[in-house]
Amino acid sequence: MNDNTLNLPNYFLADLPPEAALTPGLITEACQTLKRNRERYLQGRTTESLIQSLDGIGRDWLEADYPFRRHVLEAGPAATGFSAAVLAAGLDSFFQQLTAENLEGLLRQELGHAHRLDDFFPGDHERGSNRVALARGPQLLAHIAPGNIPNAVLLDMVLGVLARSAQFVKCASGQAFLARLFAHSLYEAEAKLGACLEVAEWPGGTESLEAALFAEADCVAATGSDETLAAIRRTLPGQVRFVGYGTRVSFGFVARDALTGRHPETIAAQAALDVAAWNQLGCLSPHVIYVEEGGRIGAEGFADLLAGALEALEKTHPRGRLTAREAAGIAARRSFYEVRAAHSPDTKIWASSESTAWTVVLETEARFQVSCLNRFVYVKAVQDVREVLQAADPVRENISTVGLASSGARAAELAQQFARWGARRICPLGQMQKPPLAWRHDGRPALGDLLTWSEWEK
Amino acid sequence: MSLIASFDEFVPQLRAFMSRTQEFSVPDAELDAEFNRLAAGLFMLQRDAVPIYGELCRQRNVSAVEDWREIPALPTTAFKEYEVTSLPPAERTHVFHSSGTTRRRPSRHFHNGQSLALYEESLRPWFRRHFLPPSPSLRRASHPPSSILHPRLLILTPSAAEAPHSSLAYMFNTIRGESGQAIFTGRIDGEGAWALDLEQTLAALGEAQSAGQPVALLGTAFSFVHLLDHCRAGQRRFRLAAGSRALETGGYKGRGRVVAKGELRQMMTRWLGIAESHIVAEYGMSELSSQAYDRVLPDEAGGEFRFPPWARAQLISPETGREAGEGETGMVRVIDLANVRSALAVQTEDLAVRRGGGFELTGRAAQAAARGCSLLLQEL
Repeated sequence: MNDNTLNLPNYFLADLPPEAALTPGLITEACQTLKRNRERYLQGRTTESLIQSLDGIGRDWLEADYPFRRHVLEAGPAATGFSAAVLAAGLDSFFQQLTAENLEGLLRQELGHAHRLDDFFPGDHERGSNRVALARGPQLLAHIAPGNIPNAVLLDMVLGVLARSAQFVKCASGQAFLARLFAHSLYEAEAKLGACLEVAEWPGGTESLEAALFAEADCVAATGSDETLAAIRRTLPGQVRFVGYGTRVSFGFVARDALTGRHPETIAAQAALDVAAWNQLGCLSPHVIYVEEGGRIGAEGFADLLAGALEALEKTHPRGRLTAREAAGIAARRSFYEVRAAHSPDTKIWASSESTAWTVVLETEARFQVSCLNRFVYVKAVQDVREVLQAADPVRENISTVGLASSGARAAELAQQFARWGARRICPLGQMQKPPLAWRHDGRPALGDLLTWSEWEK
Repeated sequence: MSLIASFDEFVPQLRAFMSRTQEFSVPDAELDAEFNRLAAGLFMLQRDAVPIYGELCRQRNVSAVEDWREIPALPTTAFKEYEVTSLPPAERTHVFHSSGTTRRRPSRHFHNGQSLALYEESLRPWFRRHFLPPSPSLRRASHPPSSILHPRLLILTPSAAEAPHSSLAYMFNTIRGESGQAIFTGRIDGEGAWALDLEQTLAALGEAQSAGQPVALLGTAFSFVHLLDHCRAGQRRFRLAAGSRALETGGYKGRGRVVAKGELRQMMTRWLGIAESHIVAEYGMSELSSQAYDRVLPDEAGGEFRFPPWARAQLISPETGREAGEGETGMVRVIDLANVRSALAVQTEDLAVRRGGGFELTGRAAQAAARGCSLLLQEL
């Protein structure tokens, strides 16, 4: 990594040169140091002061000349494959959320009171009764971070700070770039916060290292494929709490009321933003955009507008370079649909020329289709929402977000239907990759799941 | 450029080209011109006679080509979804299926008597050239023992009778006539998957070793791994006679332990006593009628795949769709003149880089959907 612009101290395991081999002993020692530091520096901190620190760091990251931000934008494209514009958009959407107000909102939402991590307080419904409660975070929270998008782990790290947990962030090989820089930014802002953090990378499933980590942790939060999660769960000691975020997919739904207006191209532009954010690699990114028939334009017209919007975004927010394997995956899938389109009017394809930057495939077949991602999106025509729910039934258990283009009473009715069916999150199209700080990750209270309560009936 | 009026007119011209080029003394320029003429002619015939191919050509607006590099290629996936053939159903006497997990739809490559004969005529000379030459010292001897020229073939796939839709089994069946003795020790298991009769294989190896008779093993990487893992587990180490050799063809069919090519070769040397110079890799697929090999046995240098003169490989940049530059990874596209009744231009999902006059395989297109996401709902 090019650290010329940023003279980072060798502080975390992820700072070690790649040839430095990690050993189980090193991991154990790091975990024990983290726990000691937590007792000394973090356990006694007030929520108030932690929120102020996080709020300040959030502001810093939004400043154009903040060295860490500059470094992400300069070195990030080579380190992560995302273009600088895509990284900047991702940083902005996360750090704009990291405010004192949002953090307090999160605490009130999940704990019923903003200071229940500091002391005994009654919740909203317990006032007047003699019941009070306080919550404690894990001593050592181990994160198994996902490989797909670099910022997912940042929110998890913020939650760990609020919980006053020592944190060990384990990234996949070569994927620690952003987690490591965020950890350094915490360390620079407050060395004592940094002293309760560790960031390391190794290939997932390296048993000896993970066993050492899991033996020290009292909570493990892991994001990955369902197989990865199952494998981790099998190796965890019984008393360790496990919080797993598994395989999730998302789609968009453009209701006909949204396409009766005069500006269907703004809807298409919103869909394009969702496809382009983090190059569609996140669980909240849409694989398919369903278009309800009966609007002023149909699915084909919408696909055409979406193609135009993706082409425009490629100029401002280029996708960036792919490996030959990934590009070949797109090329092969394009060829498949090109032949289908030649054979039948039921399929049409729009694609960037001389590159794999973006692809739109229109199909009359409504069945949910997993995309190869990196800005390859399906548009499918449906008669109504019932057809969508049927078409996506095979992935019902795995649906995270539905990006909805609709308004008023129709939107409320559709949201009900999607929620009852199983969607964990419904948001406006254009916001799919921008979940609020306090969002219930995969339908679970993300902070609450880490905590343990102590109750006092006075 | 003179047109070729029919497949019946094309076939003898292709045969003439194949037999001339086998002499390896035809000047390059003449060879290029003739390849180009035949490819352009076959393209026109297929454009009109293979419906799905004609549809693709119309979509691309390609009705004639000056250069074989302009011929639109059909992706291998088209062989799964469509009948890529000019043969009417009644004339399809044989069909080859691609291997793969049972969940996946296979590719289908239809043949009649004539196209099957061409398949055999295409595979024989190129196989013989790479795999059956005797070692140089024996070549110098006035009367090399016939066992070296004709090693005992130990074929690790099921026989063509047991696996009638496997182009590989068909190929090995064709080849068995090239040598004195041949046995197939592959089987079809209860679930329709390929398995290896270990007992019979080990017995054949033991017998050949005792008799000091060279053996030629032919099989998929998967079958070799199965055999070699077994040898290792039981510490059964063979020292096969000089001149013994192995032909390994890619593919694990999603089963078993996947082993890097280099490691597989080391295992062959260690457990069978076959020298690196005597291990040849084959690159072929049911959608093609010609194969590439990565070594002329017993050359020390290997690793560059080459097709026979009647088939050519292009490497296509996945990003731009143009021919990949020097040192750049590209997707293998094969223009195979022996694919007479299907499509001569086939786009694979294999990745390779140019090396010398051939190509080195480096991987395959990414298959899975989201990273860390194992859902694949609709088979492509």
